[in-house]
Amino acid sequence: MERIIKLELGRLNVHLPERRISLREALSSPKPSVRTRDGSTHFFKREELESLSKLLPETDWDKLQLPILIALDPKLGRGAARISGEPEARVAGKILNKRAAGELLIYRPEVAALRRELPTTTQYLFM
Amino acid sequence: MAAALAVSPTRMELMKLRKRVGLAQRGHDLLKEKMDALVMEFFEVLRRIQDSRAKALEQLSKAHRALSNCFAVMGTLETMQAARETKRELQLEISTRFIMGITVPAVEVGEVERNAVARGYSLHMTSSELDEASREFERALKLLVELAELEASAFAIAKELEKTKRRVNALEYILIPRLRGALKFIMMRLDEMERENFTRLKRIKAILEERG
Amino acid sequence: MSYRVAVIGDLDTTTGMALAGATYAHVHATKDETLAKLKEFLASDEIGLILLTHRVAEELGFEFRQAMRAKRLLPLVLRIPDKTGYTPKVDELREVIRRTVGAEIMVKKEGE
Repeated sequence: MERIIKLELGRLNVHLPERRISLREALSSPKPSVRTRDGSTHFFKREELESLSKLLPETDWDKLQLPILIALDPKLGRGAARISGEPEARVAGKILNKRAAGELLIYRPEVAALRRELPTTTQYLFM
Repeated sequence: MAAALAVSPTRMELMKLRKRVGLAQRGHDLLKEKMDALVMEFFEVLRRIQDSRAKALEQLSKAHRALSNCFAVMGTLETMQAARETKRELQLEISTRFIMGITVPAVEVGEVERNAVARGYSLHMTSSELDEASREFERALKLLVELAELEASAFAIAKELEKTKRRVNALEYILIPRLRGALKFIMMRLDEMERENFTRLKRIKAILEERG
Repeated sequence: MSYRVAVIGDLDTTTGMALAGATYAHVHATKDETLAKLKEFLASDEIGLILLTHRVAEELGFEFRQAMRAKRLLPLVLRIPDKTGYTPKVDELREVIRRTVGAEIMVKKEGE
């Protein structure tokens, strides 16, 4: 059973990208996507990219890395999550009507709301 | 339960066991987070299914009414003939999307609605009833494609959720209690051995003092 | 990747979906024939979506459920009402929710 658990833990984050791309890169790509650790391709919806671009001044389009990671860390308590990175925390904060200072701590209903708003441009990260 | 784990009561074993408990606990907490996240995703998809299903099924029954009307006005055979002649080349673009390692479909469909010419049935057959039935079914089909994507996603998430739940339960009710049991067993044995050692030492000391 | 649509059901359903652009259609008559057709559609790399009426799915029964368990992600299979609007009383998705998330959460969610 412990072997299975190790396997499951190793599998938790395979959906994450090998390398994230900036909002600007995504906007200028004909098929905006990233390659995930398990070798598959994850596509971003254009409408989400466009709504993100409206939330940030153009000078920050290079800084925002996609997908935005929602880090679920048991140390924060069950259901709580952290969004790291200044522009990432700022857009998430704008969507949730929360003030963000460098990073953003959010709770389960907010995680759900964020996922609803940005289904392809956010991803869970299990810490 | 401790008996199920064959452990020898040594310091070394105690340390190893503590590590295993730590790993199992961490695994449990993370998988529980994953389960919670999956439940959230699942309910989000269900919410969208409710909307999508209501719309699609309403449109489908509207389409059936239009078709019945067409059967009545044009005749069943003629309508079926038209259905045979229609261009039946609707294309779906299907790719896959990942939600926490689960593969779900992402379907894109271009414009399903067409005009009478694009439909391709011979124009001498055409009638406003036929056009109407075709248009209503085109609309229904477009909505059903969306619904199919959502339902497939819901089933895929549910499957992963069931699996994760089984793992969490196995950790919570079997592995972790068993490891903790073994841990307690070793600690007790070590304590006992220490006490035995202590008394032995005291006795040796007493004997030595007697001699001295 | 591009895929086509297939439909299995009563004459109304297949005629209507054909008018809407579905490439493959099978009018259900006998269980064996329909089952063979379903398997053919499921094995096709060209088909991305199979629409099938609830009534036909019920008539195929166990074999339908088995085919669903064994199938790959594609083609997607969606059960739809026929001309009479027939849908089964037991909603399969609801069953799945009960099994996976448990009745408590469902009640809570619905009470919201």
